[in-house]
Amino acid sequence: MARMKFLCDADRCIECNACVTACKNENDVPWGINRRRVVTINDGKPGERSVSMACMHCTDAPCAAVCPVDCFYTTADAVVLHNKDLCIGCGYCFYACPFGAPQYPKLSNFGSRGKMDKCTYCAGGPEVDLSPAEFQKYGSNRLAEGKLPLCAEMCSTKALLAGDGEIIAQIYKERVVKRGYGSGAWGWQTAYRETIAI
Amino acid sequence: MMMPGAEETTMSQKSKETGLDRRNFFKALGAGATAAVAPVAVSPAAAVDPGKEETKSRYRETDHIKNYYRTNRY
Repeated sequence: MARMKFLCDADRCIECNACVTACKNENDVPWGINRRRVVTINDGKPGERSVSMACMHCTDAPCAAVCPVDCFYTTADAVVLHNKDLCIGCGYCFYACPFGAPQYPKLSNFGSRGKMDKCTYCAGGPEVDLSPAEFQKYGSNRLAEGKLPLCAEMCSTKALLAGDGEIIAQIYKERVVKRGYGSGAWGWQTAYRETIAI
Repeated sequence: MMMPGAEETTMSQKSKETGLDRRNFFKALGAGATAAVAPVAVSPAAAVDPGKEETKSRYRETDHIKNYYRTNRY
């Protein structure tokens, strides 16, 4: 059985934030929530690295472990989803997640108890596949359409990989073997000339 | 004129008739409540089952996905 995974090639990510924008648009993500974010370390200094982060769809998900109403479930594709009809908005999952994946819509200044929102790996939710109710609560279900998450599919430098963990690990391995240490993205030396080591 | 102990005699007679002593009333009530609650406490808490339809595999290697893998090998 294929296990769905994300893998971000930090040597290729150029911090364009297109994955963030595409995710928001594709899934109609509410205000104040980014299901995917680009994190940059050593910003503006030599050795700067960016990595695109979202829910990592953990095997033993801490969000599911702490949920008092047990609204999380893992699909046969190893995608961690949640049921917004059961969610009570307690916020435990937000604190449990090491990646900051589950977030809450900021509808009011105080006391709002919305439903938690998180990356669904573009796999919808417990509603009927590709139904309007599913789209309204969870966003698109590209996996049911025979596609992969849009963030990975439209990545311009092919930094963000998604799909069967075995296959994308193989793709990443091939890249590293070919380029050695450093980035193999096109146009790297054109952009940075000889100052950048590949 | 009624004797001081006459009333007491009547009350104890009443409680004997009902079969429930005034001092044992709450004891009996408590025992009854425990008996009624006990079977509920024993029943196990059921975890939410998302269902087979919801957790089924949706990923399949379509031409679209094969193309994605191919272009990512560059």
